[in-house]
Amino acid sequence: MQKSELDNANPTILSVSQLPSRRATGGTARHGPDSKYDYAALASLSSDTPSWHSDDDIDGDYGDAHDEIWEAPVDEQEIYDLISTISDPEHPNTLGELNVVRLPDIRVTPAGQRSNLTTVLVDLTPTVNHCSLATVIGLAVRWRLEQALPPSYRVDVRMKDGSHAQDDQVNKQLGDKERVAAALENDTLRNVVDKMLETCA
Amino acid sequence: MEGKKGGAVVFHTLILSYQTPSQPPSTVSTASSIRIDALPPFKLDLGDRAWTSVPHPTLPLLATTHDKAATVFSLATFAKHSALTGGHARSVRSAAWQPGRETAPPRLVTGSFDATAGLWSWNPAAAVNSGGGGGRLETEVKAVAKRSGSGGSDEEEEEEEDEWIFNLVLEGHDSEVKGVAFSPSGQYLATCSRDKSVWIWEDVSAGAGGDGDDGEDEWETVAVLSEHDGDVKAVAWCPDVPGRRSTGSGTYSADVLASASYDDTVRIWREDADGEWVCVAVLEGHDGTVWGLEWEQKPRPGGRFPRLLTFSADARIRIWTLRQGEADGEKADGENASSHPMFQSGFGGLPNTMRRSLREEWDCTAVLPQAHTRDIYSVTWSAATGMVASTGSDGVIAVYGEDPAAAKQTAPQTTDGADATAAAAADAANGWRLLATVTDGHGGYEVNHVTWCKRFDPGTDHKGEEEMLVTTGDDGVVRPWQVRAV
Repeated sequence: MQKSELDNANPTILSVSQLPSRRATGGTARHGPDSKYDYAALASLSSDTPSWHSDDDIDGDYGDAHDEIWEAPVDEQEIYDLISTISDPEHPNTLGELNVVRLPDIRVTPAGQRSNLTTVLVDLTPTVNHCSLATVIGLAVRWRLEQALPPSYRVDVRMKDGSHAQDDQVNKQLGDKERVAAALENDTLRNVVDKMLETCA
Repeated sequence: MEGKKGGAVVFHTLILSYQTPSQPPSTVSTASSIRIDALPPFKLDLGDRAWTSVPHPTLPLLATTHDKAATVFSLATFAKHSALTGGHARSVRSAAWQPGRETAPPRLVTGSFDATAGLWSWNPAAAVNSGGGGGRLETEVKAVAKRSGSGGSDEEEEEEEDEWIFNLVLEGHDSEVKGVAFSPSGQYLATCSRDKSVWIWEDVSAGAGGDGDDGEDEWETVAVLSEHDGDVKAVAWCPDVPGRRSTGSGTYSADVLASASYDDTVRIWREDADGEWVCVAVLEGHDGTVWGLEWEQKPRPGGRFPRLLTFSADARIRIWTLRQGEADGEKADGENASSHPMFQSGFGGLPNTMRRSLREEWDCTAVLPQAHTRDIYSVTWSAATGMVASTGSDGVIAVYGEDPAAAKQTAPQTTDGADATAAAAADAANGWRLLATVTDGHGGYEVNHVTWCKRFDPGTDHKGEEEMLVTTGDDGVVRPWQVRAV
């Protein structure tokens, strides 16, 4: 984005060590988001791969590590890892570094008795409350997650309460499938979003 | 972690018991309970999101919009029949067949994110080349049979270019066209857009109205309706049933248009005696974008005006009923007259400005039992059985039936479904019951569209009569579902 005047010229930037990670929380090593995506892609492409969503018991054929890959639902940290590396459209930093994406503001509700769907709710905190690029950031986050997650995931991206002057308007746009689809067919907007996603491994 | 494209269809049919009411003889086809079973999907995986599938009113054809094109399927073989490509620069969102062309080649209109609507005609020469003869219906089926037997895909692609002629592009909207719909006679076409407007176009071609000869296509803009405060998501014309003329005669012409919007409202439009299209009602009640609307196609007892069904991002389906006096067409009669003194006198002599303020009173008379947890993208209301089917973001396909004995025809419902108790919800449902659901119709993907559709495949003993459901999803698959009484 070439802009003579930035919406927020001096954003607070977190260093890498301050960003939430599995290591920092003492968790076990996780499978990277992109490797997870690859598995999902492989499963859909290769017909002789056992169906990873099958109800059939595949425990006997695979070790624990596989079970973890195939069956463990994506958790908040993995969602964070998928989207915190997205670049801000006007600063040379990632959404994680700018604290636009925050781990505690991500909620994953796994599929359960009442629904086959896993819902992912992400509340974003734009760097300033009149940030005109809030919609673009939200669009990039939604697009990134829809690309990376299996089809039975539903992604809801919102502005955190009170963080943005036109919350309702932005939230409604980001929740509108038809508008999102049309926006991504707009070359200018698509280029901005693609550029933001370049920093996602 | 359910459902990937290409895997086995995992679905679950839930059959709910439905108390058989003492049925009036007119509702012979009302099922006491039903089951929904997947039929083999249409034999072409479109690969990416498909938006909508529209059955031809009489021929065994189904048009599916996806990417920048529309694919036409045969309902006899569930295979690809032909394709409409090259007419649009962006996604084709919607489509409609022009009615009233029984003797003319089929015509499809497409609405696209490129801000235009496209008008396409089947090329009769292509049909003849495909080995057709005799009746048109037979021609279509033969063309299909030949196509599915041929192997050369390149040759096929070239051939398809000629099958549909791109007659005309309708330009005028500022942004994405979301919906297109023809009036019952085929005379009017309504288009709606993110630019918040509804345009009404009139077919003024020589020989328009199905007289056969395909002369120069000429369409005129007759109205631009700009009262919505947000994207207009869908438009629908009231069907030509006897009840359509039960009101407004003398004040308005017969055609009635309804529009659904991102502004959470629905508007109803009629053409007044001066040929001006005016908004006669604003329907408020949904708590979210109204994704679309569907008129009651089955004639109502007593020739009453058709009801209107609307569905929304709020996961609710509402049914609205026009307030009418006991004697059809006599609005001045009945309990409403006192609250609307203007209805007491004929308003033929009123000046335009006052006429424009004359409104119809529409009441929400039912909120269907809740079957969805997220946006409802599509609902279809059968002209044959009166059954309703819905689908949406949650991938659920639900079928509902109405028990006429339990319904109060005119009582307005003010109950807000969001905080209603079970009893209040039952009251709001006003005789509507959930008959059956499929919980995951498209393997985890969102389902964008559902429609009732006549069956012409070998699996039915009543070709052209038995109805099935057809759903269209983000997986790019078009699925037929058998719906039968058990």
